Amino acid sequence: MQTLRWAPAGDGLEMEKVVCCLCGIDDADPVAVGEDFEYHTSPEVFRAVRCRRCSLVYLDPRPAASEVSRIYPADYHAYDFSAESFGLVHAVRRRLEARRMLSWCEGLGPEARILDVGCGDGFHLGILREFGRPGWRLEGIDPDPRAVEAGQRRGLTVHQGTIQTVQLPPSSFDLALLIMTIEHVDDPIGVLDGIFAALRPGGRCVIVTDNVESPDFRVFGGRHWGGYHFPRHFTLFGKQTLRAAAARAGFEVASLRTIVSPVNWVYSIRNLLVDVHAPEWMVERFSLRAPGALAAFTLLDMANARVGRGAVLNAILRRPATVTEAP
Amino acid sequence: MSSRPGSKSFPPVAVVGGGVAGLTAARALRERGVPVRIYEVGPQLAGLACSFRDDEGFSFDFGAHFVTNRLAAALGMGAVCRTVQRYGEVVRVGDRFRSYPLGLLASPRHDVSAAVARARALFDATAPQSAAEAFRREYGPAFADEIALPLVEAWSGVAADQLAPSVLQKLPTGIVRTLLMCAVGRLTHRAIAIGYCREQPTSPHVWHVYPEGGTGALCARLAEGLEDVVELQARVERIHVVDGRAVGLRVNGRDVEASAVVSTAPIHVLPRLVEGTDILADFTAFQFRAMTFCNLHLRGRGLLPDVVVWLPERDFRTFRVTEATQSMPWLAPEGKTTLTVDVGCRAGDEWWRLDDAAIVEASLDDVRPLVPDVRERFLGARVLRTPIAYPVFLRDYEAARRRLVDKGTGVDRLLSVGRNGEFDHLLMEDVYYRTLHRVRRLADELCAGGRGFSDREPRASTADAWL
Repeated sequence: MQTLRWAPAGDGLEMEKVVCCLCGIDDADPVAVGEDFEYHTSPEVFRAVRCRRCSLVYLDPRPAASEVSRIYPADYHAYDFSAESFGLVHAVRRRLEARRMLSWCEGLGPEARILDVGCGDGFHLGILREFGRPGWRLEGIDPDPRAVEAGQRRGLTVHQGTIQTVQLPPSSFDLALLIMTIEHVDDPIGVLDGIFAALRPGGRCVIVTDNVESPDFRVFGGRHWGGYHFPRHFTLFGKQTLRAAAARAGFEVASLRTIVSPVNWVYSIRNLLVDVHAPEWMVERFSLRAPGALAAFTLLDMANARVGRGAVLNAILRRPATVTEAP
Repeated sequence: MSSRPGSKSFPPVAVVGGGVAGLTAARALRERGVPVRIYEVGPQLAGLACSFRDDEGFSFDFGAHFVTNRLAAALGMGAVCRTVQRYGEVVRVGDRFRSYPLGLLASPRHDVSAAVARARALFDATAPQSAAEAFRREYGPAFADEIALPLVEAWSGVAADQLAPSVLQKLPTGIVRTLLMCAVGRLTHRAIAIGYCREQPTSPHVWHVYPEGGTGALCARLAEGLEDVVELQARVERIHVVDGRAVGLRVNGRDVEASAVVSTAPIHVLPRLVEGTDILADFTAFQFRAMTFCNLHLRGRGLLPDVVVWLPERDFRTFRVTEATQSMPWLAPEGKTTLTVDVGCRAGDEWWRLDDAAIVEASLDDVRPLVPDVRERFLGARVLRTPIAYPVFLRDYEAARRRLVDKGTGVDRLLSVGRNGEFDHLLMEDVYYRTLHRVRRLADELCAGGRGFSDREPRASTADAWL
């Protein structure tokens, strides 16, 4: 297999051709065409495809690694999801996330080591520090220096790099978090392999990622679906493909379900409005700063999640206690 | 030669022709690590998809090409494509223009005729024997005889009862969906690509775009990274077949080994190239319609009632006049426009042998009923000719054509791809996806080292992936 690159066309991005990371082959049909509706970082047009063999959805072609600083602009929300910027939404989300996260941490010892892979500004580690047990040792990894700086400002231990590049002691962590991260990375299986190696046998990995089997995808999946987050989400999963990815890295699946999130609903509508040049006041009704829309779509997605079709997937994987190496 | 690190250790696959299909095939093979070599007879790449721009600022392509934002995205060139804001077609019936499809539906006489024909068809289990029969059954004799069949005959140069029923390719989207798409296109100021791709579904999110630098830019994009495997001015004289399998070719008098051959040559030429089997002999009879395109450069804009005007009346020599600047204003300098007058002919016939000036004169006469002051507006003209514009589906060789569609060339490891190689009315995106799918199967076969290769596969259903 050879990676063919395309030099930037006009003001576009350097793009590279990719294959399905599960099948190792390019045999896919297009499912969506869209643009960077949220940050307008380039005039490029992006295409999401679905693998004909395994149904994985992925961006192809996608921005080359050289374009990372361009597609993640300085005002990217993951670098600064603060109480000052997001007010009520921040407070509510923090409470809800705390409940969810503590459930993932059940059974951890008083001195458990927890790793947040792709920790952004340290939002989740901050929650664990506040609501978790005082003896927990919390660490984060993020490749972006702006995220690392934001995390360190909160007094957190954050390593700059990726799980593949940062030297972590093997078999040492009790829990790894991969929250809204796996869809961003260029090598999801490599990341899972890295986490597998960092976890002690019996350790758990929690994945949260957008769900391509949700009603919001069905409605908006041709172009405006918030989960595409063009061009920053490279790989998008459903239950089956996430299970396959976990298996590839050697994990056991302890649980796999969908959970409630209004974000993709809200951003799908926002993207549609942006695309048809709707007035600014209307667009602003649909954002992370819009409590009304978030509340309404939370209610809708609660109904979806009840029947197993929530907007977001939540997997809890376990490194088998007896096997030491990923296959 | 063409092997790169990681490439499989067999002789390169020979790709005959460096147009959209050939380059797509070469890329797909290379991505799978299959060594490849492209032989292009011309002095440059681009095949049919070449574009021109003259000193006066008029741009034109060799024939009409339709590129979608979905295809542009696949090639990472969305940033250099402009959105085509509108596209529409009208049919001239008598002195009136009727829009497609809504205006055509608004004729009660045609509607009743169609309804009766459809009702009759319910009790008639026999398959139609010709295009004439197929159109009359589908649309009713009134519409078929007055509008559809005259256009089909002008386009193909053959009486409709001599054409195979497969000429009628139904609107893949259905009438209700088509109308819905038209409405979305109007609202969003995007020319939704309705029925311009059979391999992928129509969607309100897929519209026509046009790349800076013309459609030739598309080939340049596909050729990126393939420079070291392209041989220009390389005439393929023979394709060697041994024991039913393509094993090499002769290029400019030199024999070259190949693990497979992907040909984009017109299908009726292929049997003459292939040596070692006569299994392709039937394809020799396949005919292509030749076409002249007369680009009239005129003062003014919006001279036609819509982008494309179809002319079923037999007193016109042309069957179609296009004002592409209504869709793509940048194709001509401001305040000026181009009308393209298409005339079907046979290569070598009287019309084909006319000099450019005579074709321009005839075209100006033809356009006058549509644009009465066309001569006063006239600035200049350019005539393009192609001996191979459209495949003609004659009943005489319909069985052989079906065999080509279903079973391919019949020679192991010899693929015939692209618009002329498949002998099908394919547009750009179909050429791209069909070539990809077929060549990937070839790559799988080569990498697996197996025998008994067939490049055909059941069509995957992508029906509900969009909207």
